[in-house]
Amino acid sequence: MIEVKNLTFSYGKDKQALHGLDFTVEDGEIFGFLGPNGSGKSTTQKILTGILKGHGGKVSLFGQDISAARGQEFFQKIGVLFEFPYLYANLSAVDNLNYFASFYPREQRRDVGELLNTLEFKPDFLKKPVSSYSKGMRQRVSMARALVSNPRLLFLDEPTSGLDPSGAVLFRKIIEQERQKGTTVFVTTHNMADADLLCDRVAFISNGNLVALDTPKRLKEKNSNHRIVIDYLYQGQRETKNIEAPELEAGIPFAHDEIISIHSQEPTLEDMFIQYTGRGLS
Amino acid sequence: MGKGFCALFKKDCQMLSSGKFFLMAIGFLALYTAYVNLGYIRFMQMPPYNVYLYDPAGTQTEKSSLVQTVPSMEAMDTALLSDANGVGLDASAGEVRVVLYKGAEHVDHHRADYALFLLRPSTGSAPEIVGTNTPEQKARKEITCELLFFELSAVGFLGIAAVLFREKGMGVIRVHAILPLQKNLFLLSKLAVFLLSDLVFAVLLTLLNAGLADGAALLPAVLLQTAILSLIMALLGLLCALLLKDFRQFTLAYLIIAIFAATPVFLSANTSVKFDWIGWHPFYHVYMGLKNAYFGSATSPVYYAGAAAAILVLFLVVQFAFRREIGKEM
Repeated sequence: MIEVKNLTFSYGKDKQALHGLDFTVEDGEIFGFLGPNGSGKSTTQKILTGILKGHGGKVSLFGQDISAARGQEFFQKIGVLFEFPYLYANLSAVDNLNYFASFYPREQRRDVGELLNTLEFKPDFLKKPVSSYSKGMRQRVSMARALVSNPRLLFLDEPTSGLDPSGAVLFRKIIEQERQKGTTVFVTTHNMADADLLCDRVAFISNGNLVALDTPKRLKEKNSNHRIVIDYLYQGQRETKNIEAPELEAGIPFAHDEIISIHSQEPTLEDMFIQYTGRGLS
Repeated sequence: MGKGFCALFKKDCQMLSSGKFFLMAIGFLALYTAYVNLGYIRFMQMPPYNVYLYDPAGTQTEKSSLVQTVPSMEAMDTALLSDANGVGLDASAGEVRVVLYKGAEHVDHHRADYALFLLRPSTGSAPEIVGTNTPEQKARKEITCELLFFELSAVGFLGIAAVLFREKGMGVIRVHAILPLQKNLFLLSKLAVFLLSDLVFAVLLTLLNAGLADGAALLPAVLLQTAILSLIMALLGLLCALLLKDFRQFTLAYLIIAIFAATPVFLSANTSVKFDWIGWHPFYHVYMGLKNAYFGSATSPVYYAGAAAAILVLFLVVQFAFRREIGKEM
């Protein structure tokens, strides 16, 4: 779906933002693109969505070079959720969605009411202007805008930003449903939980360089110290033991009366990011 | 393409409507019409100064009906006290003496000459009349032209910039970058809405104030000039909105444009004030084009070529600024 080879981009003579990125995103994959502010993720997304021109290297989407694919057909196939909910504040959710949907062929459009219902949008607000909505409601309308054209490739920038925990769960469910329909999803996020729960693979970008690319599970496993922490009770005392994972193969290797908890010492995605880049994600 | 343009056009109309732009235009039309018909024309038909004559012996037999006779010098003093621009004529001592409150010297001479002329109106030499307009027609066309120029260059300009600033503030311009539409349509629909609105405004203002029959005859030429000015101002408004950070910065630019661009044009075109450099001022030519349209005078083809080139160049600059805006950091 997406093929990027030696992608470079410079905002000026001495402001090189991307230093030769290489990655591919497969059809139907949820691909996470993680990096701190100013690392080059927005630049990469803007190049992939055809907004930014003048890059070096090769970028192909839908099997076509991006430079040749910026026509209307290309934009009919993509949906973009921006980091901020860009909507007409004087129009209602329905009017906004009908307006944005009107640029796509009729047969491609989804039903606006049904879509908002899927996103659990409060029906009372359907006809009220966006200016009266909470941030979470605006994010739902923005998501609906990105989905209304039934895109084959979905770019999501911080999809769960501004949502409460149940809203975030709903969004992750909807993104998963999109993938099951065959949509490819390119997620740019700071949210490690989103990346871990949603993405088939994640790429870490730092200072315009791709520093790691793998499945979240493998990234964590590769860097795991394979140790396990066990909390247990023995002779009325609560104790903790830190052991090597293989030691468990023959059962619990020490005397105990009751096991309270077993924790693997696998690193988090954020730990991995810091390890690879030496920087946090904020 | 047609469907995309219609959607943009409809949305732009909604934006203008919710921003009370159309309501404001109707309000301005009503205000201008009331000013022209109830104030300006009546004012222009009034004599420039009141003339008061004290002539106890009745020696001034040829005097104009515009001269107001007073019974005493005290009455004349009282009249001049309440009407400081008035002119008093004292004919009590045989020779007529002019009495007036001192103002600017050249104006005082004019006031005195005018008052003395009213005593013997038949002795003045009749000037050659140029043109076919009656004084009222002339006044109506002049003021309609000025109001239309003001409306297009100040009010319409402000309107289009306000709409784009709103869209910029909401961030929705960036959404259009990823929509399947030709990006120029975003600009063209705005130009079309404002052009249409300005043309309708020009038709109504001209018919209501220059007179139905006169106005209808002038409309083709007036609409052409309106279209030129409307497009230039709309493109300038779009450019300001795209380049400037917020509406506060725009209000400063707006003041500069209003003061330094429009004022010398009005002064040069409508008063005896002449600036040597005014020929280099682009708005002077646009204003004169509009004035020529109202008075049926021919406008040079060079002007039309220049206007077309200016519109094209402005459109290209606006297009560049627009593409830069949609590519900004998200």
